[in-house]
Amino acid sequence: MNNKIKSIITALAFATSVSAFAADTIKIGVSGPYTGGSSPMGVSMRDGVRLAAGEINAKGGVLGRKIELIERDDEAKNERGVQVTQELINKEHVVAAMGFINTGVSLAAQRFYQEARIPVINNVATGSIVTKQFLPPEFADNYVFRTSANDTIQSALIVKEVIDTRKLTKVAILADSTNYGQLGREDLEKALAAKNIKPVAVEKFNIKDVDMTAQLLKAKEAGAEAILTYAIGPELAQIANGMEKLGWKVPMIGSWTLSMGNFIDNAGKNGEGAMMPQTFIQEANTPKRKAFIEAYLKAYNPPNGRIPSPVSAAQGYDSMYILAAAIKQAGNTDGVKIREALESLNTKIDGVVTTYDHPYTHDNHEAITMDMVVMGKVMDGHVVSAHPVEMKESKEKAKK
Amino acid sequence: MEILAQLIVSGIALGMIYAVIAFGYQLTFATSSTLNFGQGEALMLGALVGLSLVGYMNYWLMIPLVLIFGAMQGVFVERVAVLPALKTKSEFGWIMTTISLAIIFKNVAENIWGRDDLTFPSPLPTSPLQFFGIRVLPMEILVVFGALAIMLAVEIFNRKSIYGKAVVATSNDRDAAGLMGINTGMVITFSYALSSMTAAFAGVLVAPLTLTGATMGVVLGLKAFAVAIIGGLNSGMGVIVGGLLLGIAETTTGYYISTGYKDVPGLFLLLLVLAIKPAGMFGKSVIKKV
Repeated sequence: MNNKIKSIITALAFATSVSAFAADTIKIGVSGPYTGGSSPMGVSMRDGVRLAAGEINAKGGVLGRKIELIERDDEAKNERGVQVTQELINKEHVVAAMGFINTGVSLAAQRFYQEARIPVINNVATGSIVTKQFLPPEFADNYVFRTSANDTIQSALIVKEVIDTRKLTKVAILADSTNYGQLGREDLEKALAAKNIKPVAVEKFNIKDVDMTAQLLKAKEAGAEAILTYAIGPELAQIANGMEKLGWKVPMIGSWTLSMGNFIDNAGKNGEGAMMPQTFIQEANTPKRKAFIEAYLKAYNPPNGRIPSPVSAAQGYDSMYILAAAIKQAGNTDGVKIREALESLNTKIDGVVTTYDHPYTHDNHEAITMDMVVMGKVMDGHVVSAHPVEMKESKEKAKK
Repeated sequence: MEILAQLIVSGIALGMIYAVIAFGYQLTFATSSTLNFGQGEALMLGALVGLSLVGYMNYWLMIPLVLIFGAMQGVFVERVAVLPALKTKSEFGWIMTTISLAIIFKNVAENIWGRDDLTFPSPLPTSPLQFFGIRVLPMEILVVFGALAIMLAVEIFNRKSIYGKAVVATSNDRDAAGLMGINTGMVITFSYALSSMTAAFAGVLVAPLTLTGATMGVVLGLKAFAVAIIGGLNSGMGVIVGGLLLGIAETTTGYYISTGYKDVPGLFLLLLVLAIKPAGMFGKSVIKKV
């Protein structure tokens, strides 16, 4: 009897392991906010990933297997992010993951990937500490990678634009009260301090706040010549509309979220001229970018022919290719092997943002460097490059 | 001085929004001693229905339709959530049922209109008007006067018409009104219709100023509840004063103290009122005879 049970169990175990081998897809988790105020970023990221995965699968997949994306909506909520991450790891058994739009969600949830030794690529979240959560000596290996321009880079570029290019020295910082806004505010203050400048006003507001009069009046009375922002689309629109109401118009320069569709639409003409650092602008200035934009518009047909968040779409697309290259180099889907492959990628990846040549090392998990980021500007409801000369440089870089 | 005036003007606009929602709490409390905790959601539904209608007609024509929708939604809430609780003489049943209905409404709205914030086209010019250096959006003026108008209309109706008198009679003494031949059940249903109607109206008033979406009512509904408590649940004057106090407190604290603390004075005021005058600043304390 005992033997019989044993043999049944062995048979069952064997059957399940066989079926695991027979499963010919490679499961990859994709989580982000597909609904709510952050959804333009989440949806564009997901669509970029889908586009890349579709192309890879059309060419036969990776290791002879197709890529299967397991998509989950984290609703930009920290607790929901933790939930879906655990689901992706424990129930779906993903071999790697991409996503995290919101820095707060990323910081709350990515530890589960770290613990499970599953590499995760943050393709949109920008908080400076996102990739620095699990550093040696405490953690021997870091499983968190990134393909977006972190806040250290972004705030340096914002400050460079305001102080060096525009020669404005009195600036006010307006940031929302989330992790994203407050961590970004710290980075901005640091970047300003490096130029010996102290902001004349530092104000905050909550998500869903409808009245920005007090914050803007404080900035105005302090004599601010420019407003630096760290927030997301809807509240940024309230700031732009609030400035119009107060009849006070100073340049609005902020983190890359000023390129979000829900800022541009809700702010309308009040948002014109807002500037932000971008890794990708929807302009077909290289063959790769042209092909990407055309494929995206054809596949998802966004309103007005405008990708809701071009940066997220491009970074999502690139992250999929980087991950696929790593899995190919690893030769199997073991998390440790994929991480090692990511840290020593020996193929160049021709991405939309740039050409990735050894994007990561064991100690550097940031694929984007300062020179890949350009300034964008809102014009006629679209984001265009603010300094076309700069664009040319990056165009040549992308060609290389 | 100009700054203070600007802050007060912005605070008044904000406060009148709170007041008109708080007024809705009051209407149902008067007749049945129950509250619709989904008042914020009634506002949200009004705004979203208005947004859908505005695609087919102009803003002003849309308003009566939204009022009708709001009234129907109020009747629905009363029938489904409040009536069963009143019938069984459940003291607190209606609290849970109105809250759960509110959650359901929010989810339904998310499914119909999506979870994104939408822009509500403004019926008035969006460039501000200037009075003595103070800048006001035409829409803010409309909010203030619209809110006052609907509150005034309901008050006049209650005082002058025979139906209104039935409402007043029911709020004074439900049992006595019943004995006089007033269908008090009907009056309660009617008060819910009125209450959701004012909320829906508030929704289409504020939507062009804020963004419109399934979650727009949550914060507003909560703050309006604080206003209703501060002002007193049975005082029309109270909600207006309470609303203005809270609105102005928010904008001025934001400027003079810190934008991080702008919600604190309102809550502080709430605690103060509850400690000193639990019936609200303008409320009459009712002695409950057992």
